[in-house]
Amino acid sequence: METRVLTVNTDPVFQDRALAILDQIEDLETQNVRNLSEAVQALLEENFDGLIIEGDAALALEQATNLRQHFPSLTIACLLEGGRRTDVGSRAKEQNIELLVIGRSTRRLRVTLTRFVRSLDSHAGTAAEGIDPCHSLIGNLNQFSAAEILQMSCLSQRSGRFTFKSGRGNSEIYLQQGAVRHAVFGSVLGEAAVAEIFRWRQGRFYFEEGIISQEQTVNRPWAHLLIDNLQKLDETLELVGV
Amino acid sequence: MKRSSWLVFETIAMRDTKLETKLRLVALQLENWKKLHDLITYGLDKAKPIISTEQERQFTEIRANLLQEIEYVLRELNILAEVSGKAMSVLQRGVSVRGVRDLSNDEVRRLETDWNGVFTKLGLMQGQLKARRKELAEQTAFDYYLSRLLRRPVTAR
Repeated sequence: METRVLTVNTDPVFQDRALAILDQIEDLETQNVRNLSEAVQALLEENFDGLIIEGDAALALEQATNLRQHFPSLTIACLLEGGRRTDVGSRAKEQNIELLVIGRSTRRLRVTLTRFVRSLDSHAGTAAEGIDPCHSLIGNLNQFSAAEILQMSCLSQRSGRFTFKSGRGNSEIYLQQGAVRHAVFGSVLGEAAVAEIFRWRQGRFYFEEGIISQEQTVNRPWAHLLIDNLQKLDETLELVGV
Repeated sequence: MKRSSWLVFETIAMRDTKLETKLRLVALQLENWKKLHDLITYGLDKAKPIISTEQERQFTEIRANLLQEIEYVLRELNILAEVSGKAMSVLQRGVSVRGVRDLSNDEVRRLETDWNGVFTKLGLMQGQLKARRKELAEQTAFDYYLSRLLRRPVTAR
């Protein structure tokens, strides 16, 4: 089975010394992304045995530390330009991040990278699911209901888009300064869509700050919507005997 | 004999390195052209009224990467003359997601045709390179040596 490595390299066309070496390693599949956001997306969508972040020491370590919070089981290495620095060494050790150095010698770099890749073979595992740092809030509907999270967001005067994903499909609720402005679930719009989402007890949600809808399909204050929908929800739950 | 067989191995390895580099370059290009197309398609979709600043930022970043790399990559792939014009046409027409939305119908059609030209050529190139890699992977040093011997009269002509 092939080892899969994700590399973060901002300039993979012109700064490709390490990538060229990785290309030559047998039984290794390499995928390159250019920034942290793409790395998170790739790690969420696919399984990788290891991650190599190439670049300036401080920036690479910052990115690696950030990713470590979301992917605790992933093997992460920073490929540092200009040698190892003592100040980053202790931080890397704390975060369980390996430091590799791009020296002048291509042969030494090949040995370093091959050793790192081979070390992945022995403990290849599945990367733990993480979160996208672009999303300011993320969670499961079986832990927090849509009503709870919407109430919290409205009380704190948030503007942005909630996306709810469940077996029934995807839906979106747009907030503007703490008020529900637009809601959509398939062809259902407005208050009916909000009511539908209130009933969901399984699925995931995330919130993206700052995305505002030009459409307005909900005109009532949030408090009214909440009371009406909770009442309807209670009635529904009574019907099913939960 | 020992020396010649070592040379054969080295020749295969050198070709392979170049091939892998080309494959990596073409994959990176295709990825960027796909992302650009996603954003262009979004921009052209009148049913999606919201264009976020994040989408505009992504568009600019992809465009900047393509502008920086296109000439070098196309030259490495030996398709600079064939594709460069179309690629530049797409990059010059598509200045932003909002800019794409404001293009006239003719310009949109031209943009799509040129994008398709670039994407098709790069896709074909990727297929050919992968086929070559497969051939090399299946070839032993002996096969390689034999094929060179058999090919000699043709190449000498």
